[in-house]
Amino acid sequence: MSSSKRASTMPAGPKPPTSLASTLIIADNATLTGTNLITIGASTIVHPRTRISCVHAPVTIGSSCILSERSSIGFQSSPSGEDQGRGVVIENGVVVEIGAIVEASRIGEGSLIEVNAKVGKGAVLGKHCKIGPLCTVAEGEVLPDFTVVFGNGQRRIDSSGAQELKLKMVGRQVEVLRKLIPSNLAKFQ
Amino acid sequence: MDHFTPYTYFQCPCTDNSISIRNIGHLESTRADHDDEDERTFDPKAPRANFSLYPLDHLLYCEICHEIRCPRCALDEIVTWYCPNCLFEVPSSTVKSEGNRCTRSCFQCPVCVAPLSVNSEAPAPTGLGAEHAGPAGPFVLSCSFCCWSSAEIGIKFEKPNSIFSQLAKIKNGGDPILSAKQRRLDREERRRDFSDASIPEDAQEVLPLDPNEQLDAEAQFSNLKSFYQSQLADASPASALGFGGEYGYGSPGALTRIMGLYTGGGLADKRSQSKSTPMREACDATEGLQLAKTNADEDLAKLRREGWEGTVSKEQRCEQAHEPHFVSDLRPIAALLRTKRSKRCKSCRHILSKPESKVQNTRFRIRLLAMNYIPTITIKPLQPVLPGQSSLLSPMKPTQFVLTFKNPLYDAVNVSIATPSQTPGRYSSKVTVLCPQFEVGAYIEDAWDDVLREPGEKGGEKERRRTRAETFEGQQQAEAGKVWESGRNWVSVVVEIVPATVGPESGPAFLTEGLEQDNSPMKEDEDILEIPVFVRLEWETDPAHDDGLGAPVSKDKEAKVKRELAYWCVLGVGRIAQV
Repeated sequence: MSSSKRASTMPAGPKPPTSLASTLIIADNATLTGTNLITIGASTIVHPRTRISCVHAPVTIGSSCILSERSSIGFQSSPSGEDQGRGVVIENGVVVEIGAIVEASRIGEGSLIEVNAKVGKGAVLGKHCKIGPLCTVAEGEVLPDFTVVFGNGQRRIDSSGAQELKLKMVGRQVEVLRKLIPSNLAKFQ
Repeated sequence: MDHFTPYTYFQCPCTDNSISIRNIGHLESTRADHDDEDERTFDPKAPRANFSLYPLDHLLYCEICHEIRCPRCALDEIVTWYCPNCLFEVPSSTVKSEGNRCTRSCFQCPVCVAPLSVNSEAPAPTGLGAEHAGPAGPFVLSCSFCCWSSAEIGIKFEKPNSIFSQLAKIKNGGDPILSAKQRRLDREERRRDFSDASIPEDAQEVLPLDPNEQLDAEAQFSNLKSFYQSQLADASPASALGFGGEYGYGSPGALTRIMGLYTGGGLADKRSQSKSTPMREACDATEGLQLAKTNADEDLAKLRREGWEGTVSKEQRCEQAHEPHFVSDLRPIAALLRTKRSKRCKSCRHILSKPESKVQNTRFRIRLLAMNYIPTITIKPLQPVLPGQSSLLSPMKPTQFVLTFKNPLYDAVNVSIATPSQTPGRYSSKVTVLCPQFEVGAYIEDAWDDVLREPGEKGGEKERRRTRAETFEGQQQAEAGKVWESGRNWVSVVVEIVPATVGPESGPAFLTEGLEQDNSPMKEDEDILEIPVFVRLEWETDPAHDDGLGAPVSKDKEAKVKRELAYWCVLGVGRIAQV
């Protein structure tokens, strides 16, 4: 009996140039597309079906980040004006949840992009920000450190001082995911 | 606006629509209408109609009165109080004494209304046996949605449980709140100290703890209360009841009062009135006096310092007990308790609906839904609206609709429906029911019974008895006086509607005589075509199986009881296109 799976007959495009750390966990089903450079730091987790697109600009991801399923990182369309050339930079310890779209110029350390949230092109997020589920950050917006976007676009500054604890929790989550997600680093190098 | 779902609303017979609001301006006509009250059609557009119309699934049915019961003619009784967060069942005596909030650890975020969780501030223990060691304090209430935490208002807890009682003792900022009892003890302590030092009792106010103390609303109330209680006690040593502080039943004062009660009260009253001395008012913070702030410099400075982010929104303010202005004054909101209610018929006190008293159980012990007693009515256009076509009704163009009655009873029901030939209101459309009288078959739980009982007459044949005559163009046409389509327990009839011309300029299409033209602009939803329908049901039932759960067939024909039910319905057909 032949396999019921129908593989695409399209030849796979050229692999994008990458600079991947050796301790990176990247699932086989993740897709990296484009021609610009993709840099991913140490012990970052890239879930299956994560899309990283460097078609329009390079993407830089720090260490100990978690990029969840069906999240899209990188510009979805060609940037205009001043965003040209500047890529997407995600700092260390950032968690991008399922289905989130990140087109920001910079996402600060320890930020959390919740389920199906959207960060518009050229936005700059400070450190330890949290973008709530289904919330959007407009293009080019600049959020200060510890901003929480929640509910119907409400904003507040989180002064609970739990950022160290949260970074530690992300570290632990990374430790668990390392064991759960089979990595295929060689495919993307 | 283009999208419209046809609906059917039922009017509960409990509402008295004998006075129509529409006619308030025309008193004479109201009086004239009063005589033929039964004849008058129900006006679904009348302002009062909104209160008596319900979708079928909101209605109950009383088996004793044989009437439809709506939320307005059913009495609610609380079965259980429970916390929606921890599902703890709260006894009603506790609700009376403690209030309708959860007194355990269930709190709502004061910023966004998400539930708060108790978290430890300290990092989780690591190393050997870490999983057995409980989390160490201090604990905070934190919101996982907007990242608010009680640390922001300076509140931390020692224990992770019974947060409610811990919170009641801490002010925003961490200072302890003196409870009313503690305040009283404090006051008594001071009084004793003074009396020991043989200072006259009046000197108590000379040396207060802090007369300019800023009290919060609760502390102020408890101070005021205790002050006036002591004033009352001082003013009448043998209090108004005649029983003083020590319950002196045998005291002379009590005796004269009791004597006064029996002899007409002349003596005792005069004496007590003459004795009463003017009461002193509260004069400092320990007695509950708070001077209103004359200048708001402090608040203004805070406003300048913290800006818009530091103030609370209207929604956040409404949730709080004492309407604070600043985010720093917000307090976690204890979860509001919910209730499970049973419903009773107002006229016969028969229970209509009773849920299980256990919180976790979602079943009902008794639930007499109107849906199980009266036919459901659905309406749909005869010619289906094609995608891309406007669903609006075109004015003055006859349109046919299929009205389907589905019988939930185990007995066949004779249905008569009546509609006014023109719908009430300013824009009145013409309505014609092609078949106003028909019988709807009984509901049979097991479809096989029906097939087996009548082998000659197949159910399938009966199922599709259409009276339509298809013309050559393939257009369906309904025949007057005949049922359009019928099944085992359902019947469809055709209603023909000629929608009125609706628009700000055009006058009513069918102007009823006696009513002068109303040229006021069109009100909201006035373009919706609503048809009042009077439904009358007649059926014979076995009284033993009155509950509708018995066998459908009874051998004893004499035991059958004739039942009748009549009510108004409103069919929302669609919006009329404006010209």
